[in-house]
Amino acid sequence: MKGIIALLLITISTLCNATEQAETIFKQLAPSLYQIRLIDKASGEKSSIGSGFQITRDGLIATNYHVISGYARHPNKYKIEYLDNKGKKGTLELMSVEVINDLALVKREVTEDMPFFAISDSTPSKGEELFSLGNPHDLGMIVVPGTYNGLKKESFNDRIHFTGSVNSGMSGGPVVNAQTEVVGINVATSGNQIGFLVPHDKLVKLFNAYKISPPTSIDEQMLAQLTQNQEKLISTLLNSEWQLKQLGEGLIPTVNVPFIRCWGDSNADKADALILTAVANCTLEENTFLSSHFFTGFLEMEFRYMQAKELSDTKFYTLYEQQIKRAGPANKARKEDVTEFQCQHDVVKPTLNGIKNKAIFCTRAYKDFSGLFDILYLAASIDKNDKALLSHFTVAGVTQDSAMAFTKKFMESVTWK
Amino acid sequence: MEIIIEEISKGHKLIGRHKFSQRSVTLGRGYQSDIIIADPHVCADHLTFNFDGEHWYVTDTDSINGSFLENSKHVVKQQIVNSGDVISLGKSQIRVFFPNHPVEATATFSPFENLINIARHPATIAFSIALFAFVTGYIFYLNNGKEVTFTQLLIPAISMTLMFALWPAAISVVSHLTKHDARITSQLGICFIFFNLMWVSDVIERFVQFNVSSQWPLMWLIAIVPVGLTFCLFWFNCSIGFHTSKRRRVAVSVGLTVLLFGGSELIQLSKKPEFNPRPQYNAILMTPNFNITASSSVDEFVEDSAELFKNTTLAIDKDKD
Repeated sequence: MKGIIALLLITISTLCNATEQAETIFKQLAPSLYQIRLIDKASGEKSSIGSGFQITRDGLIATNYHVISGYARHPNKYKIEYLDNKGKKGTLELMSVEVINDLALVKREVTEDMPFFAISDSTPSKGEELFSLGNPHDLGMIVVPGTYNGLKKESFNDRIHFTGSVNSGMSGGPVVNAQTEVVGINVATSGNQIGFLVPHDKLVKLFNAYKISPPTSIDEQMLAQLTQNQEKLISTLLNSEWQLKQLGEGLIPTVNVPFIRCWGDSNADKADALILTAVANCTLEENTFLSSHFFTGFLEMEFRYMQAKELSDTKFYTLYEQQIKRAGPANKARKEDVTEFQCQHDVVKPTLNGIKNKAIFCTRAYKDFSGLFDILYLAASIDKNDKALLSHFTVAGVTQDSAMAFTKKFMESVTWK
Repeated sequence: MEIIIEEISKGHKLIGRHKFSQRSVTLGRGYQSDIIIADPHVCADHLTFNFDGEHWYVTDTDSINGSFLENSKHVVKQQIVNSGDVISLGKSQIRVFFPNHPVEATATFSPFENLINIARHPATIAFSIALFAFVTGYIFYLNNGKEVTFTQLLIPAISMTLMFALWPAAISVVSHLTKHDARITSQLGICFIFFNLMWVSDVIERFVQFNVSSQWPLMWLIAIVPVGLTFCLFWFNCSIGFHTSKRRRVAVSVGLTVLLFGGSELIQLSKKPEFNPRPQYNAILMTPNFNITASSSVDEFVEDSAELFKNTTLAIDKDKD
């Protein structure tokens, strides 16, 4: 019995010891954790806040791109400020960004060497306890414990699945292991104890590239990253297996990659519907944030099979036309970001297979990222009197070559059974 | 010599016409006058015309408000009258003619008179109105995503037909008010024939838009068909309802057409958002038997799109200016 008590006491004391250790370390690091604020110059008020953490002794701070995106897109309208644990404020300079993984490096002026967060060399093991840190309110540092759950399977760009409640002001804050080494950066939450982190290696890569040569223009840096990412995405898609799946009497392609997920629905339960409709929808469930009004890097494919039930062909086709009249892009963009869409249409019949489509192709160009376009494609079969197959995709932020290659592949993949 | 005196309105439209063979004619509000004018601003004994064997003279008989030849400011006193002169007295006007006054050449029947005669035949009117109502009901049926009954179709068909009948009715009222024949049956007949032709042009437009690709250069030709039809309708409306010169008829029809299409274009322009995030494309679909053109291949279609990439890139600079 004594032995057991002794054992328990020892365990408790070591536990306390570990917590105490962590506490002291966090206390040490508190000066390196900041609240990052975007200040609207005209009104002098903050327009968004997030967290950031120092990664060098000379004042380089890592945060999320989306925290400072307002400044990156409109440097004249905003300035970036930090607020440290003592309540001191200062201006930050934007050094480098990584829009695909939502990272940014900003720099404060320091007079003497400061403590900073060390970045881990290794990936955590599944189930390892991690601490998400942030400075969301004017309360100083917040520590949220949670568990490492590996990388999110369905993501094209890696994200760590973290079980713990990351809240919005903690965006850009570090997630550390028990040794207070950074293993990830808070980026998003999916509610209910599910948080997503950017893996530390993305930050290491950005930091190393910055050390070699800091970017000359943030816009050019963003353009290069967007172009590279779309190339990676489209070539991955084109080189993956396109499985043909049956939808009604049509055959539709589904790309065999984990990051594109498909959902389906139909109105088979509605006895009074004039047209039987079955819909399959496949999307890339992530996109790239450029500003709160401008998203890109998105891909969506939709297929719709329709069959008339005791309906004249003319009426079937009239209702069919109503279905395709109002297609829109899936990504948000404003006048300052993109041009208006320009469209073409034609009757197209792929040589290899037997479907005749009215095909519509629309594109708009990005104003600040030249060479990138949003694409909207829509094809309606016009060779069966009482059946129709609608195939549609939208893809955001691709080059002309990628768009044309993808369109060709997509058009040739849709057919009748 | 005989004298013809016309009572005319301010707009020079004929109210009454009198022909006299005596040497003296009197005008006034009094019942003893040869021409009695019911205008409170005219004196009982207002104006006299006298013939001296060679000329007709006009004299104001010291009336209170005076009489004026053409646009002169002077009260008439023993003045020679020429054929075609207009004299104002009180708030009324008269015009004087002599038997030798030249008249305009006889108006020939327009070649369209035959068409108008067919159009105003009750059977034609009944047929075109019925056809119009049927087409309206059919379109309503086609566009309704749910099951519809015959009575549900009747209401929009009849109300649309009545609404469209307002236009010929309005023209008839206007021509009646301007002292022309109302000719409501001709107007109705012609209007509904043209309304039905508009349906036909709609179908043709849809058919062409369905078949040709966006690369087809003659799309504008199809777009002006309804404009042409509208012009013809207005032209017929004018020629049935009003006696005017050819030039004037064309001018009025062009004006109305421009007003209609220009107006609707203006309304669309004013509603157009500064930036439209949605694409505008041709989504016209028709049943397979309407597709008569050869299909393009995927490669051709994809190659054509290169033009769009070029154009949107050019649009960037245009937007920046």
